Amino acid sequence: MWRPGGIDRSTSLLIGLIVLSLTLLTVDLRASGAGVGATLREGVQGVLSPVQRAVSTATKPFAGFVESLSDLFSVNADNNRLRERVLELEQEVDRLRSLENRVREFEVLLGVVTPAGLDTITAEVLAVGISEFDHIRVISKGRNDGIGVGMPVIDEGGLVGRVVSVTATTAHVRLVVDPIETVAVRVERTGETGWLSGRGSGPMILELLNTDAAVLAGDILVTADGKYPSGIPVATVVRAARSEVGFSLRTEATPSAALSRIDLVYVLVYTQDSPGITVDDGSGRIPVVVPEDPGDRTSGESEEEPVTTTTTSVPDDPTP
Amino acid sequence: MRTRHVLIAAAVLLVAVILQTSLFARIRPFDVAPALTALVLVGYARHFPPETAMLLGFGAGLLQDLLAVSPLGLWALVMTAVAYATVRFRGRIEEDFKLMTPFVFAVTFGGLFLFAVLGTIFGEKTLADGGAVKKLLMPAIYNAVLSLAVLPFTAWTIGASRRPGTEFRL
Repeated sequence: MWRPGGIDRSTSLLIGLIVLSLTLLTVDLRASGAGVGATLREGVQGVLSPVQRAVSTATKPFAGFVESLSDLFSVNADNNRLRERVLELEQEVDRLRSLENRVREFEVLLGVVTPAGLDTITAEVLAVGISEFDHIRVISKGRNDGIGVGMPVIDEGGLVGRVVSVTATTAHVRLVVDPIETVAVRVERTGETGWLSGRGSGPMILELLNTDAAVLAGDILVTADGKYPSGIPVATVVRAARSEVGFSLRTEATPSAALSRIDLVYVLVYTQDSPGITVDDGSGRIPVVVPEDPGDRTSGESEEEPVTTTTTSVPDDPTP
Repeated sequence: MRTRHVLIAAAVLLVAVILQTSLFARIRPFDVAPALTALVLVGYARHFPPETAMLLGFGAGLLQDLLAVSPLGLWALVMTAVAYATVRFRGRIEEDFKLMTPFVFAVTFGGLFLFAVLGTIFGEKTLADGGAVKKLLMPAIYNAVLSLAVLPFTAWTIGASRRPGTEFRL
């Protein structure tokens, strides 16, 4: 084989493999998640997912032991903090009960189906991404179980992420904290809308435009986007902030879901393209989309696509 | 070197990839896991001929690509570079074995940094990650510590031995 003078065999091979890698990169990016790359991925993941499942199960006791060791140090502090929190929450619950009743009345009037009304698929987290930069979780359900790309994934805390690729038996979930992800959100207390961007590690960035009200530490942010059903808790504001003239409000929020310790998740059977009617309530905020015919939807019974959503189109004139 | 050694190395790399994605999903001190596959690759690249080492790196990287959602070829390129760096520097490291731990740290950090840069170029926003520095440094530190156990293990699996003042031989 011809080689330029001064380049040894290993360097030639290195150059060849780099060229091959770049070719693969180009071909895969052009295929946009389809083509030979997708077929190979599905094959490999199909073969290895049972092994990952077995290893994950077998090592669970050991991993649990290590986890509990690290937890031991923070148990006392956690107990005190949680006691105080319980008292606060008991008061909060009383207030929320009355609000909940009121919301139900409005929902009945509007025909809105809440995320709780969607079908869910329970799945176990089998594996994580290859590197610390992959904000990915592999879950134990796939296409055969009814999971599709784009479906939102939640845990008991709130939004975990969304499905970005599916094989027959597994699915990849991209976490909301991934720098690629941006979620349209609404501040639950004030109703102001904006977006929340992941940063990989640490708190997420909340940006609100045209906001009159300040956000406070502890404000809960819920989804307000066609990509996700509305009303799912996404994050809690860490730092209070007020918008300055001519600038958007920008602050930080921590994810509601326990992303570093996800074990079981729920995939919402929901797609962005579900039909709906946009209802502009005249408030200048993101309009709500309600189903054309909500019908009688109960969890686990509906065969139709769920339709509750909101759109991200913000009216030109945000003033009420 | 025999085909059997290469097959053993490939099998151990496969196990490393599986452990990386399953066991280290839960055991994550300071919320970061080691880059086990890179470490195991360094362990084998010390002993194999350069071409074999780089092909092993390319294969391990390709396997990682197939399990990830990042573009195909990204990890293949990075792991090939890790194998190449090991092959290039192994002579010096074997002369002064104290250099091994710093080398593992450097090559892991370098590999992850290359991945982060390439990932950003190819649209993964990797360097936009708020904890990028921690995610580059911590796995490198873990790998440096784990190298004290993993490198002898990889040498043992292929029956590599070393006498003072000589190179490893299979």
